[in-house]
Amino acid sequence: MEAIMKGKKFIFAVILVPFFLFSCQSSRDSSFNQKNFILVNVANTYSSRGMQYVSDQVLVKFKPSVTEEMREAAIASYQSTTLKRISGIDVYHLQIPEDVSVEEMLYLLEQNPDVEYAEPNYFRRIAQVTPNDQYFVDQYALYNPGGVFGPPSSPQSGTNRADIKAREGWEETWGSDSVIIAILDTGADFNHPDLDDKLFSNGYDFINDDPDPTDDHGHGTIVAGIAAAETNNGEGIAGVAWNCKILPIKIVDNTGWSDVSTEIDGINWAILNGADVINLSLGGPGVSQSEQDAIRAAYNNGVVVVAAAGNDGVATYYPAAYPECMAVAATNSSDERVTFLNTATDPLPWESNYGSEIDVAAPGDWVLSLYPTSLTTPPFLPYTWASGTSLSTPHVAGLAALIRSIKPELSAEDIMDVIRYTADDVNSTNYAGRDDFIGYGRINMERALVPIIISALNLHK
Amino acid sequence: MKKVEIFLLSALLVLTLTCFSSAQEPEPQEQEQKLFNAVSISPGFGFEYFSRTIGWDDDYTSKLKSLFLTLDAEVELQRGIYVRAVLGFSSSSYEALVFRGRKFPVSVQLPEDYIKGFILGAEVRKKLIHSESLRVDAFGQFYYCYGIKKEWEVPGLAVEGTVEGRPTWMRAPVGLIFTYTGYETFFPYINLNFNKLWGKFNMDEIIQDLTGREEKKISGESSFCISLGFTFKLTESISFKSEASFMPYKEGTDFGIMVKAMYSLD
Repeated sequence: MEAIMKGKKFIFAVILVPFFLFSCQSSRDSSFNQKNFILVNVANTYSSRGMQYVSDQVLVKFKPSVTEEMREAAIASYQSTTLKRISGIDVYHLQIPEDVSVEEMLYLLEQNPDVEYAEPNYFRRIAQVTPNDQYFVDQYALYNPGGVFGPPSSPQSGTNRADIKAREGWEETWGSDSVIIAILDTGADFNHPDLDDKLFSNGYDFINDDPDPTDDHGHGTIVAGIAAAETNNGEGIAGVAWNCKILPIKIVDNTGWSDVSTEIDGINWAILNGADVINLSLGGPGVSQSEQDAIRAAYNNGVVVVAAAGNDGVATYYPAAYPECMAVAATNSSDERVTFLNTATDPLPWESNYGSEIDVAAPGDWVLSLYPTSLTTPPFLPYTWASGTSLSTPHVAGLAALIRSIKPELSAEDIMDVIRYTADDVNSTNYAGRDDFIGYGRINMERALVPIIISALNLHK
Repeated sequence: MKKVEIFLLSALLVLTLTCFSSAQEPEPQEQEQKLFNAVSISPGFGFEYFSRTIGWDDDYTSKLKSLFLTLDAEVELQRGIYVRAVLGFSSSSYEALVFRGRKFPVSVQLPEDYIKGFILGAEVRKKLIHSESLRVDAFGQFYYCYGIKKEWEVPGLAVEGTVEGRPTWMRAPVGLIFTYTGYETFFPYINLNFNKLWGKFNMDEIIQDLTGREEKKISGESSFCISLGFTFKLTESISFKSEASFMPYKEGTDFGIMVKAMYSLD
C-alpha cells in the first residue's frame, strides 16, 4: 500500500484565515501506512504482564461423580481457595498459592483422576471497533496511540489516548441514518468518494439562492468530513457519526464570508428540513439578537446547535457564545488547549478563544479531513490537514448526532448536558472543574455513549 | 397494579374461598392428624435463596439472585386448610443490568451489587387427597419484594452524578404438593408448580440539572418449578422443612433452596 501511495501527494493548501471562517489549514506531503484491523487491548494487566492468563488463578471442573466433600478436600489439598463456583457449568474458579505457578498447578490437577479438566483463567479483551479507512491511523482526534501526527512540515507530537475515545464510543453506536447533521458552511463536495453517499439531500445554497450548495471553498467539505465522512469503506478517513447523514447548507461564500441574515436563512431551512444537529464552524465578535432568536428557535425545536469558539485568542465569538448554543474550543494532539504559544511554529499561529461561554473542547489542531475533489489537482489527493475551532466543532456535532441516534427522546439541552458532563477535564492540573478555556473538558465519546459501570456512593465526598 | 398481579391475587382469593367452602370431614390417619389436621397456629422462620434467569424488556437477560430471611405464621383455619403470612428481609442482585433507554441521559450499568428490600407474602394451601401414605395439597403463594432505594455514584463525570435504583419483584407459584406420609417424623415431598416471577427496576439519574428515569420490566425466564424437600418433625411442636427447587428454562436450569423452622402452638 505504501508503494501505491508513493509519489502521490496531498494537496498543499494554505488557506488564509478570514475573519469569518476559523480554520487555518495546511496540508503537506505525506505517506500513509495502511494498517490491518487491530484489536486494542484495554486490559492493562494483559500487556504489562505479557501473559495470556491470570497469574494466580485456575479454572477446574471435577467429574460429576465426585462428591462435594471430595471436591472441597481436593481444593484444600492444593492449598487453593475457591473464589467462586460458576453456575451452569459447575466449574470452580480457584486462587492458587503464591509460590505455585499456574503451569505447576495445572500439571498437578491433571494428575488427579477426579478432575475432568483444569485450565488457566485466560484473559479476554474486547474487540474494539476500528474502521478500515485508509487514513484512520492519522486521525489522532479519534484514536491517538501517541507518536507524531500532522503534516510533515508541522509534525505534532501526540500523547497516548489524547483523543475523543471514538473507537470505544462506536462500540455502542455508529449512529442512525435518520439523524441529520446540517453543515451550515461553504457547501459540500457532492462527488467526494468519502462523502457522496452521506448526503441527506442536495441541501440549499443561500449564497446563490439555488439548490446546489457545491463547495467552492473547501471549508464546508472539511467540516462535513469530520462530522460524518463515509466510514469503514476502506478509503479516506473516518467520520465521527458513521451512519448519520449530512445536510449541506451553503451560507458562506467562496471567500469565507457570510452574514447573520444569510446564516438565519440557513438555520431556518435546516429546522424545516429535519436537522437534528446544526454545525456552525463560523462566528464573529458582534452579538446579534436576530441570530440568537434563530438559534433559540432551533434549540426549542430540539435541534442541537454547535458552534466554534473562534481562533483569535479573544473572548468567545457569536453564535457560540449564546446559551442555546454549544461553544467549542480546540485542543491539540496532547490534549492541550491550542494557544499562540503551542502553534508558534505554524504558518499562521492561532489560539482558541475563551470565556465563560465555552462548553467543551475537541481536537482542532492539524486534523485530517476531506478536501473538495474539484479543488484538488493531481497528484494530490482530496484530503487535507487543517486547524481551528472549525475542526473541533464537527467532532462535537458528530457526537451530538450519535447521542440523538440512541436517545431520540432527549431534548437539545439534555444532549448538550450529556456532552458537557461526560467530558474529560484534561486541564484539571491547572484548572480543576469547568473553566473558561476548555469548558467542562475535551469530549469523551465513550463516556457519553457507552454505559458507565456505576459504583458505590462515596459518602466521604 | 398490573393485570397479571391482579389475576394472580384473584386466583389466590378464589383458591382460598374454595378451600373454605369445601372443608372436609375428619381425616383417617392419626399420625397425619398430629402433623396436619389439628387446627393450629405455627409461627416459624426461614431462609431462602434463589438464582433465576430474568429477561428484561429490552431482550437482555441477567440473573436475579435473591436471599431472604422470613418470619411467618401458618394458621390452619379449618381442617386441611392452611393460610400462611410471611414477612421478611431480602437482599437481591440483578447482575450487570444496563440502563440505556431512549430518554435516559447517561447510560449506566449496574455492578453486581445487592439491594436490600422487604418481603411480604401469603400462601394458601388446601389438602386435596389423603391416603394411607400419600397426601396431595394444592397451594398458591404470592411473594412481593419491595426494594429499598439504593444510590450509586456515576464515576468519571466532569460533575458529580448519582443514580438511584429501586427494584420490586413478585413471585407467584401455584401448584401441587405430593407428600409421602408413610414415615413417622420424616415427610418427603415433591412440589410441582407453575411459578411466575415478574417485576420492575426503576432507575433515576441526577447529574446536576440533567435528570432522567428508566423503568425496566423483568420476568423470569422459567415458569415451571420442581421442588424436592422434606419436613422433619423433631418434636411434637418443632419441625424443620428443607427444599431444593429447580426451574428449567430453554437455556439451562435455575435453582433455589429453602430451609425453615416451625413451632406448632397446638
